[in-house]
Amino acid sequence: MLNETKTGQKIVIIMGIGITTLVVFTFAFYMLADPSISLFDIISIPILLTIILTSSYIIYDRAKNIKKGLPAQDERLKQVGYKAGYYGFIAAIWSAVGSNMGSIIVTDQELRGGLVTAAVVLISGIVFMISFLYFSRKGE
Amino acid sequence: MKTRIKELRARYDLTQEDLAKKINVRRETIVFLEKGKYNPSLKLAHDVAKALKTTIEELFIFDD
Repeated sequence: MLNETKTGQKIVIIMGIGITTLVVFTFAFYMLADPSISLFDIISIPILLTIILTSSYIIYDRAKNIKKGLPAQDERLKQVGYKAGYYGFIAAIWSAVGSNMGSIIVTDQELRGGLVTAAVVLISGIVFMISFLYFSRKGE
Repeated sequence: MKTRIKELRARYDLTQEDLAKKINVRRETIVFLEKGKYNPSLKLAHDVAKALKTTIEELFIFDD
């Protein structure tokens, strides 16, 4: 039972490394393919880098715990994940509304669907990461 | 909420990591439990009490 759990945790870590690597490669190819940088890129690149760095830290932290013979995730961290997920979900809803509204107010134009999706993914992602780190440092 | 985890851990000469390994949680969870910053589930409270050879009532002190 314990070995199965540890194997599951190792699989999650390997998947996390795989997904982070794919995101980094996609980001690199995107930057190489389109040398012109728009305002959206300037805003989104730091957010994306923060998400990549934070997820790398979380993966490293979990791997370090497994190496020491401790679980990668326990009940406290699961609760932190649920709480951060809730905040990420709220951020996703409001960013879908807010990004378009903000664009109309600032540029008098609606955002393209792809940009709204990107804003939702980036904003909810960063809110999840920051909430996760904050609550895991706070205790619960 | 106050706890006697630190006191009992010292009595049995256990480090935070030793106790964490015994009850299969992360070391930080023990840190937060000792500081009273985390309210554990009944199962975790039971596991900690069992590992420190005491009861939940003896281990966790609630301020009314």
